[in-house]
Amino acid sequence: MQGTEFDEADFFRAIAESGARALLIGRRALIVLGIPVLTADYDFWIHIDDAGRLNAAVERFGLAPTHSPEQARARGRYVLENDERVDVLVARSVPTVDGVRVAFDDLWERRQQLPGVPGASLFVPGLDDLILTKRFGGRPKDLEDIRLLEALRAEGGE
Amino acid sequence: MRPVTRPTAEARARMRALAERTLSAAEWKSALAIPLLEAEREEALSLVRWFRRRYPTPLERLAYARRAYRRWRAAMPHEEKS
Repeated sequence: MQGTEFDEADFFRAIAESGARALLIGRRALIVLGIPVLTADYDFWIHIDDAGRLNAAVERFGLAPTHSPEQARARGRYVLENDERVDVLVARSVPTVDGVRVAFDDLWERRQQLPGVPGASLFVPGLDDLILTKRFGGRPKDLEDIRLLEALRAEGGE
Repeated sequence: MRPVTRPTAEARARMRALAERTLSAAEWKSALAIPLLEAEREEALSLVRWFRRRYPTPLERLAYARRAYRRWRAAMPHEEKS
């Protein structure tokens, strides 16, 4: 499938129907919350047992995993790719650059569901948790994103 | 007025490396300690209010982001498109 023809609603529906516990993180999560930033890829953090389900769900979009679910669990991340690129974090917990250990189960418990995708459940972390995930990479652009998210948090989120 | 000159490929690569590098824990801590100024907060929220008003649903926002990325990519020099 060509990137320009990618049907995002269908993509999110397929993930929801698969039952995979998947949180949209990264800059696309900022975008759905209402912060216009530039990004090329999708970032998901999924439950450590759900890589197989996710892979099966997105196979019809031509997205191929770079690693098997077993390899992905061992590495902590993998990529689904064709013209689109989906970075998938598959770890029970991830440390931030300043040493805070963030657990998937905690974020999943506090997730927020976004309306506006007919027939699909689109889950993102709560604002505080999304800020925590921005501390995984520790890059200057993550700092910029954190400041934007903090501004949004001060306004009361969405 | 002097014409604008495009940075060399080497300069662009250095800028990319700087933007993508991982900060040290000390750099990160000191950057996070800088408070959000009222003007910065208001500018960010103004952008958010416009974006949410113009694109009310997540799917509309994602579609806008895809168009914006395609425009940005089309304007980039060839070696930065990979």
